[in-house]
Amino acid sequence: MNRALLGPYPRTISVGAVIVFGLAFALTDARHTTWEALLPLFEWMEATPPGVISQTYGAVFALVEAAHLIAMAVLGGAVLVADGRLLGLILRDFSVSRVLDQSHRLFVWSLTAMILTGVFMACGVALKVYYLNVFWYKMLALVTGVFFVFFIRRPLLRGDVENMNPLLLRLVGIASLMIWFSVAATGRWIGFSG
Amino acid sequence: MDVFNQLIYDFAAWVDTHQWSTALHESFYVYNWIESTHVVALTLSLGMLFLIDLRMLGLAMADIPASTLARRLSLPMFLGFTVMIITGLLLFYAIPVRSAQSLWLRIKLVLLFAAAINAWLFHRRLRTAGQSWDTAVKAPVRLQVGASLSITFWVLIVICGRLIAYDWFDCRAEPSSFIATLAGCIADQEQF
Repeated sequence: MNRALLGPYPRTISVGAVIVFGLAFALTDARHTTWEALLPLFEWMEATPPGVISQTYGAVFALVEAAHLIAMAVLGGAVLVADGRLLGLILRDFSVSRVLDQSHRLFVWSLTAMILTGVFMACGVALKVYYLNVFWYKMLALVTGVFFVFFIRRPLLRGDVENMNPLLLRLVGIASLMIWFSVAATGRWIGFSG
Repeated sequence: MDVFNQLIYDFAAWVDTHQWSTALHESFYVYNWIESTHVVALTLSLGMLFLIDLRMLGLAMADIPASTLARRLSLPMFLGFTVMIITGLLLFYAIPVRSAQSLWLRIKLVLLFAAAINAWLFHRRLRTAGQSWDTAVKAPVRLQVGASLSITFWVLIVICGRLIAYDWFDCRAEPSSFIATLAGCIADQEQF
């Protein structure tokens, strides 16, 4: 169906469409309108049980922060091993698809843990982060990272990876590292802002 | 204990007199970049460490031979730890007295020492364990114990590291005498 509609390059056209949509969103009034429309959601988040617990018990918030960091470390390990293999830096005597498959499971688990702990933390400081630019940069980086893994890297590398152009594999690895570094760095910077 | 605490305090107070220490503390961007690098290096060091430990427990990368994975990931792991140690020392240098009197930093250092001994024992066991189990889903029990202890120590280290930012037991908060002794508070000390 997709192939019939989009021709022989459905993924390329889909990614292009997402980029055009993203640019249109960023450069028009839609971005500000959406941001304003999200305010009630963030106000509601602070009143939810995770929000109330986070604001009432500092120790619980600190422990969730630590869990978030641990999940980030595991996610970092999974990303670095997979991208290190794509770049030909580590585990070179194991096939790319084998290393990627093995690390992907860990990636999914750690990403889930990161999102759960992240949402809990965000509920505690919802109105603070709502007004922080760096929080939205982090969300953008995170969505880009998830999109990149599940809609670009994984489908792309599901094919005959061993016969793919090594330059393409390296570019995928570099792009992935840059995206996830942005997620970690912007996330850390939230703590310094506001 | 009081003599030890006084020595630590004197050393930290001396570090605090350094112009670079104050400059580092007061530089918003440099201090925060160092702290960010400390955390990002954690993804490299702990990321590799947890992968090795989870592999020993049969919870990750089960298709890759365990000892090969441990050998190959050791270099990036030590690289990450080196960056963490350097940035950690710089963070101490920037806020010496409060850090030296942080209960959480003291617990973290004890745990780091325990984790280092466990890592040394783990690698010794790994060398002597042979390779007959290498492709098995789980490592021998002795290595699994080492991997579990490693994960436990490092989870606690991360928790303590995170808690350093909180001032619940700071000397200026006047904690109980037991906590004050553990944290290294000195009677009538100058507040930094």
